[in-house]
Amino acid sequence: MRTVRALAPYLVAIVVAAGPFLTDDRFLLKVLTFVGLNALVIVGLALLFGFAGQVSLGHAAFVGLGAYASAVCSVRFGWPWIVGFIAAGSLAALGGLILALPSLRLKGHYLAMATLGFGELASLAFVEAEPVTGGVDGFSGIPFPSIGGFEFREPAALYWLVWAIVGIAVLLATNLTALRPGRAMRALHGSELGALASGVDTTGIKVRVFVLSATLAGLAGALYASVVGFVSPSVFTVGSSVTFLAMAVIGGTGSLAGPLVAATALTLVQYLDALIPGISRDTARIVQSFQEDVYGMSIVLVVLLAPRGVSGLLKRLGSVGRP
Amino acid sequence: MTMLKVRGVSRRFGGLTAVDDVSFDVHEGQIKALIGPNGAGKSTLFNCVTGFDTPHEGSVEFKGQQLVGRRPQVAVQMGLARTFQNTQLFDEMTAHENVMVGAAARHAAGFFAAALRLPTALAQEQEAAATASRLLRRTGIEEWADTFAADLPAGIRRLVEIARALATDPSMVLLDEPAAGLNATETAELVETLRRIRDDGVTVLVVEHDMGLVMEVSDEILVLDRGKKIAEGPPRMIQKDPLVIAAYLGEESDDG
Repeated sequence: MRTVRALAPYLVAIVVAAGPFLTDDRFLLKVLTFVGLNALVIVGLALLFGFAGQVSLGHAAFVGLGAYASAVCSVRFGWPWIVGFIAAGSLAALGGLILALPSLRLKGHYLAMATLGFGELASLAFVEAEPVTGGVDGFSGIPFPSIGGFEFREPAALYWLVWAIVGIAVLLATNLTALRPGRAMRALHGSELGALASGVDTTGIKVRVFVLSATLAGLAGALYASVVGFVSPSVFTVGSSVTFLAMAVIGGTGSLAGPLVAATALTLVQYLDALIPGISRDTARIVQSFQEDVYGMSIVLVVLLAPRGVSGLLKRLGSVGRP
Repeated sequence: MTMLKVRGVSRRFGGLTAVDDVSFDVHEGQIKALIGPNGAGKSTLFNCVTGFDTPHEGSVEFKGQQLVGRRPQVAVQMGLARTFQNTQLFDEMTAHENVMVGAAARHAAGFFAAALRLPTALAQEQEAAATASRLLRRTGIEEWADTFAADLPAGIRRLVEIARALATDPSMVLLDEPAAGLNATETAELVETLRRIRDDGVTVLVVEHDMGLVMEVSDEILVLDRGKKIAEGPPRMIQKDPLVIAAYLGEESDDG
């Protein structure tokens, strides 16, 4: 059982990397690419919520910030894709820092409130700033990602690009959580007084994790814009932020694997009709119309019945057969 | 040498003066006890000294440096560690991980170094793990190392918190009611632990209700009543002090 647990991450990595060899369904590959985009956001939220215990109701705004930033860089300024990608991450990081510095000094739920306000403001701004963002009509004609001379236009190429970046993010986050910063985050979550008394710079940790999670969201946004080629403000609403939070909460605390499983499952639900052959469009539509209610209810159920979420279940499965 | 120098510290909550113009010194290598009836202001004074609260007036000097206005983690990095009356452990972490958090108090923040597993981060990790193991042995609780803090008995929780405070490599520790919730055997062991801490060169200031323990271990006792210092001196003198006796008798008649 121990070896299974130790090998599981490698097996998952191999299966994910082999994705385009396992299917040539272009639509399925697109859907799995979207799973990767959400996974990138969720790596950040797993650190922020699952490890450091901070709630954000505004992460969709950082995704939006990244998406528009990369669109503007490549379409208006004509910059190479990679420059726009880095600019998108930096802008989201800056946004995160500006939001985090004042609100993280306060205790309690001020961060949740501040991020909610920021999320609402940002989704309005994406519509209102028409000259930059294209307003309600959205921003179209965004080129595919390209590095050097290579353009990622085939679904398989896009899939590999997105999942390679997810892989790097997961690897770095795993290292981070295994060492001192991860312990400091969990300490902060466990007891802020205890953390302070142990010399943990609690404000510094919160700001760093928040900025990191905003950066990952911004990078996911930049990838999203160039994968889809079109950005609409309707994607970056507080509703999407709640979906992200649901993935992190259902995924559970103190784990990266749990939230990633939850992100995969909740993303796939959105494409139910296309993924399960034979399911009628109406059935799928009924399921999807309840989506947000289901997220809300699952958050409540997880908090009440299984506070450690999917990660708790994974751990329990992992300990089966061990003394 | 004076380790801690407290001068004219006052802290008010609305109309109530919880700590009223208190001054005292703690000398290097001492075990000093802070006692007083419930509500005397002991915990408030503790918080003012460790940066968890800010006094309205007065100064707190630690090793010659001003502490008032500094944040708690800065006090820890200067060498002043503390425990809490209600233990503040990290419940979802093991005893060993809890102590490791303290052991890393003086390490650099290292998000970048940790994410890339740079040699500095790995070396500090090993160092912190070794320090934590050593202190769990020193406090006699190494068999609990891999138990999650949430599952530890109350007496062991207190010792883990003391080990975590010692892991920050302090010159002085402030222990807030370390004997609360301990049975007689555990209390006797605590006395030994406190002496060992002092013998390791760490100055101790302890808030405690257990008079037997206080009289046994302290070199000096400071008595607070209603926010004011009413006595200070060696245990034998404090036992005979009429003001101290009156304060404690007063408390008993309130209860009865």
